[in-house]
Amino acid sequence: MVATAQAPVPPATGALAIELADVTKTYAGKVQALRGVEMHVRRGEIFGLLGPNGAGKSTLVKIMTTIVRATTARGTILGAPVGHRPTLARVGYLPEHHRFPQYLTGRQCVEFFGAMNLLRRAARRARTEEMLEVVGMRAWADRRVGTYSKGMQQRTGLAAALVNDPELVILDEPTDGVDPVGRSEIRDLLLRMRDEGRTVFLNSHLLGEVELVCDRVAIMLKGRVEVQGTLAELTQASRRWRVAFEGAPPASIAGFGRALPLPGGLRHAVELADGELARVQALIDLLRAEGCAIVGVSETRESLEELFLRLVRDVDGRAAAVGAANINNTMREAR
Amino acid sequence: MRIDHAPRSGLAFADLSVQTWAMLVAAYRELNARRLFWVALALNVLVILVIAAVGIDEEGISVLGYDLQIPGITSKLFPPADFYKLMIENLGVGIWLAWLSTILALLSTSSMFPDLASGGVDTMLSKPIGRARLFLTTFACGLLFSTLQVLSFSLMAFLLLGIRAGAWEPGVFVAVPLVAALFSYLFCVQAVVGFITRSAVASVIVTLLFWILVFVIDLGESITLFQRTASRIEREMVQARMDTMKGDAGRESAQKLLTEADVRLERWALANDIALGIKTFLPKTSETAQLTRRALAISAGIGQPADGEQEMRVDENGILQRTRANRRRVEAEVRKELDKRTVTWVVGSSLAFEAVVLAVGLAYFRRRDY
Repeated sequence: MVATAQAPVPPATGALAIELADVTKTYAGKVQALRGVEMHVRRGEIFGLLGPNGAGKSTLVKIMTTIVRATTARGTILGAPVGHRPTLARVGYLPEHHRFPQYLTGRQCVEFFGAMNLLRRAARRARTEEMLEVVGMRAWADRRVGTYSKGMQQRTGLAAALVNDPELVILDEPTDGVDPVGRSEIRDLLLRMRDEGRTVFLNSHLLGEVELVCDRVAIMLKGRVEVQGTLAELTQASRRWRVAFEGAPPASIAGFGRALPLPGGLRHAVELADGELARVQALIDLLRAEGCAIVGVSETRESLEELFLRLVRDVDGRAAAVGAANINNTMREAR
Repeated sequence: MRIDHAPRSGLAFADLSVQTWAMLVAAYRELNARRLFWVALALNVLVILVIAAVGIDEEGISVLGYDLQIPGITSKLFPPADFYKLMIENLGVGIWLAWLSTILALLSTSSMFPDLASGGVDTMLSKPIGRARLFLTTFACGLLFSTLQVLSFSLMAFLLLGIRAGAWEPGVFVAVPLVAALFSYLFCVQAVVGFITRSAVASVIVTLLFWILVFVIDLGESITLFQRTASRIEREMVQARMDTMKGDAGRESAQKLLTEADVRLERWALANDIALGIKTFLPKTSETAQLTRRALAISAGIGQPADGEQEMRVDENGILQRTRANRRRVEAEVRKELDKRTVTWVVGSSLAFEAVVLAVGLAYFRRRDY
């Protein structure tokens, strides 16, 4: 069941890199990890999948890459049915807790995964060198993976995921263990991949990161996609006008809403719902009449973090429903 | 550089060979990174040097040129070619390759399947390779250790036989598939246990215990076969004695001995049939190693009764006397019995066991989520 913000009509199948419907997964012991996921990812976009721990994100990603077998699943990946193995040659995947063969050098490791993705020798070698250069690992390519730091392993993993020149790149926490400079480089790489026409599917806890690069996002809660769409679509309902002014809030503006104090002095702000432009003008006039100085009028909307938190808490009306500890951890990481 | 991804409905042979070759190369690199592989290879050389250090001529046996003064053992009794073949079969294959090298190979490959199950499986499964092929190719990669070891040993043994005894015997290379098969019987157990438990230690322990079980059953079968053969010979001799009796004198007691011999034979035959029945379903590690003896064609009187020892005797109770001649004759008969067991039975039934174990592992792998 998908509850998109404005229930947009999904694009035609040919324009979709991932089209999933009725994806369920029940593990042994009747643990329902997925309860009917529906998801559409367009070709050539960066799509972010969010959700607290235990929401089913990893299970969904693993179903797409045939690591986990769905209980039920309909849909396609790059136009082929979910689970169609030869299509995986066109997919690049970086798992979250990958462990590459420690006895291989970085170069050998990337080449090995090129071969596993059916690349012939010449193409494999050329792509390996290219990808090592892209992720900044060429200088260390002849050292064994076992000697790499976490960040270096992650970069090597990215090179291995991209060595087959994939049309769809699925990245599970790609910046895990990477320093801030490395994170920025990886973000640039994601944008570059999109510019090259690839579809990037990003599974991440880092909301800020997702917000920076993703064209569209989906938020999963308790085994379902709760919402999906562009950030603008998802936060449309939360769009508000904020009128900031300097001075003590006059009693006459009570009808417009509560004046919220702003940090750093005597400034306050009143927020009005989207579509109340006439009331905004009226409020400004009233404040001026009361001698308050207008310092700003802006359009505000929920951040991804606020949206995420609200949805998580809305699911059962309490955070505990999806694991308060998990949510708090997720938010901490996001910050 | 852009790759042309033509949509595929299936995988072509060329695709499969690219993946298989990559996995084999990676397995070789893994072995190369392990010291145990090189230690085993060095021990291979040492075993061959030890065999090469022993010489035999008309005077007797020598080690590094020093005569050992062992009476009777000369090149007249053992032609040099047979002498070295015997050493290669017993010391090289029987002890080194079939036991010590196999244990080193098991230790060295013990982490392959636990590693696949715990660390690398999701990365591998996200590639266009089926679970069955991934599992079986990883298994084949595990055989690489043993195969490379026995190949190097066989090559050195071939050169040793040619240089030291003038016998260029390509039969030594039969040890390569045989020892690889022997290792594979055990490795399949280790692979499946390692894959399920994800523990290299557990897989090695279970495999060694299983090997001991196989050894005990094989030993039991050997003992019962020996006793069965001895009982048969006893019965034949009592029968022969009865046939030569004239008149009724002593016939009654002979008949009693014959009946007793029949009971003994029946008892040992039953025990042997049971042991053989159990053994049929298990891998035949010892017999597989012994198949190299057939390939090396060691037949020049080794293990046969010496001249003057042909006559066998039973005591007054119809039991074979514990003489060297009797024992050798029974051993020769047992060997004949064992030689009747075809390569197809020895290797085929062992490979059938292996196939069943791998099928269990495969069924587990195919059903499991990671």
